[in-house]
Amino acid sequence: MIETKDLKVYFTKGGFLSKKSVVKAVDNVSIKIRRGEILGLVGESGSGKTTLGRTTIGLQAPTEGQVIYYDSKGVPHLITPKTITKDIRRKLQMVYQDPYSSIDPYMKVYDALRQPLYYAGIRERTEIEEMIHKAFDDVGLPYELLNNYVFQLSGGQRQRLAIARALLMNPDYLVADEPVTMLDASLKGLIVEDLKKINQSRGLSILFITHELPVAKVIAHRIAIMYLGKIVEIGPTKRVVENPLHPYTQALLQAYPRLEPEARDKFFKVNVRELELVWPKSGCRFHPRCPFVMKRCETEEPPLKEVEPGHYVACWLY
Amino acid sequence: MPPLLRVEGLKIYFHMPRGVVRAVDEVSIYLNKGEIIGIAGESGSGKSTLALGIMRLIMPPGLIEGGNIYFEDTEVLHLPEKVFNSEYRWKRIAMVFQGSMNGFTPVYKIRDQIKEVLEVHGYTGDPDQRVNELMKMVNLDPSIADRYPHELSGGQKQRAFIAMALALNPQVLIADEPTTALDVITQTHIINLLKQLRKELGISIIFITHDVALMSMIADRIYIMYAGRIVEHADTADIVRKPKHPYTQLLMEAVPDLSKEYIKGIPGFMPDLARLPPGCRFQSRCPFVMDICKREEPRLKRVESSEVACWLYG
Repeated sequence: MIETKDLKVYFTKGGFLSKKSVVKAVDNVSIKIRRGEILGLVGESGSGKTTLGRTTIGLQAPTEGQVIYYDSKGVPHLITPKTITKDIRRKLQMVYQDPYSSIDPYMKVYDALRQPLYYAGIRERTEIEEMIHKAFDDVGLPYELLNNYVFQLSGGQRQRLAIARALLMNPDYLVADEPVTMLDASLKGLIVEDLKKINQSRGLSILFITHELPVAKVIAHRIAIMYLGKIVEIGPTKRVVENPLHPYTQALLQAYPRLEPEARDKFFKVNVRELELVWPKSGCRFHPRCPFVMKRCETEEPPLKEVEPGHYVACWLY
Repeated sequence: MPPLLRVEGLKIYFHMPRGVVRAVDEVSIYLNKGEIIGIAGESGSGKSTLALGIMRLIMPPGLIEGGNIYFEDTEVLHLPEKVFNSEYRWKRIAMVFQGSMNGFTPVYKIRDQIKEVLEVHGYTGDPDQRVNELMKMVNLDPSIADRYPHELSGGQKQRAFIAMALALNPQVLIADEPTTALDVITQTHIINLLKQLRKELGISIIFITHDVALMSMIADRIYIMYAGRIVEHADTADIVRKPKHPYTQLLMEAVPDLSKEYIKGIPGFMPDLARLPPGCRFQSRCPFVMDICKREEPRLKRVESSEVACWLYG
């Protein structure tokens, strides 16, 4: 449904007082998101996962490469901020991380939902109500809340409202950018369940962006691991979690806290150094931190290679 | 030996136009020498307010309404502010905050900022040497102290801030969500650092986080906080393997953990702390709610080796 081809998004920074430099937020990324699939995009902050998400719905112009959206009839459309049409924009929606800043708190809930419909040219009252009710049903919010102000809602209700708003236009594809990161543990599970249900009932494709591997594990069909602008590993969720190939993925799995009181007297085993502000000039981007670094890693960048069916890794070890 | 730090019946209320918010309500905790205790709770449970209360940093409309805090055998909550500030705050009890890596002023070098702390609190030795010592303690190269904050990565800044908290050799370190803003790999390094500091300096740590999995890997004992109250207190192993309070039980299933195939949520939300219903504060979300839960608030009582505030245990 969504395909990126050798996508590059570069930002230039500095230039006034400091030296100009180029940040390669997304570098040569080719991924496919299938119809009805949830792809978990996992990476730490600064890895470019949000930029990639924004580019796939035409909010960010690619520096090079393409984003292609195949509509329900299979017709390809090129997605860029300039060429995207209103009709296509409606089919590609986004939910943001912070439900406290993504919706105007002083709006009535009903108005927060009516506004996008109004701009889409839907102005008949009964039609509006029908669409709002349908979206509310999907996220399990009671209709009574429609008359409340947004600030009266709890964090979980606000995030559900944000999801309902994204669903209004009956999209084909949803970018969920860290939708549960700001929520407490008691709410995470509920929102994750909501998204899974919506994915099943509507056949909606979701790009689920998160830095929490365990959350990606419970929701995504496939997981892509991103590191400094590159996809370093991608494959079926089960395979990536049970048989991580890239040293970075292995480190993430090792580092993620588990409910293990037996471990508390021991030190964590992490064979990867913590993130430093170094950007390797050549070779694999992970090589300065990699415990298995070889000569080749310093000069040549590894391509994504299929190691087992559907499971790709970009590492010279394979 | 008496505990190093003992908080008894601490009440911190916020006087808001819509009513009195009982953010911390009769909370008692203790911390032994060389121990790491955890205070776990969701946002709004009062865990950070409790930490600020121990540091006596509550600002109006918040007010400490009652309780006592003992450091060794001295009651410190009612000491004159001047005495507390010169004898205890930062000197014996120091704190690291969630965003504390952004707590450095961007225009001064790390070294100068740590030296300022030393000067203000009347450090008598060679401040430059002390800064170097501190940097080594947190596994940073002393040359990093001569950089500006923006030249450091998030993890390095958090380490430097911990170094600053350790400047006056405190006996207690309160770490409030010290790793929340960091990526997971850096997080594990910071946790290792805290464990190392306990081992090498014998420092006692109050570790506050919403991440129960992370806490289970560092704390000796855990206090679970809900809506301003401690609802359960036990050894970490008991909290994780044999949770007694229904909230703790649900929380253990809700924590994202790689061994889980699904994560459950806890329906409902925390009550408004300004309009608390009579009875137990967890009643609206509790799957085992009974009549008595709506009338009377349960007190902490000993059940096996845990302390639980729940009517299920009589």
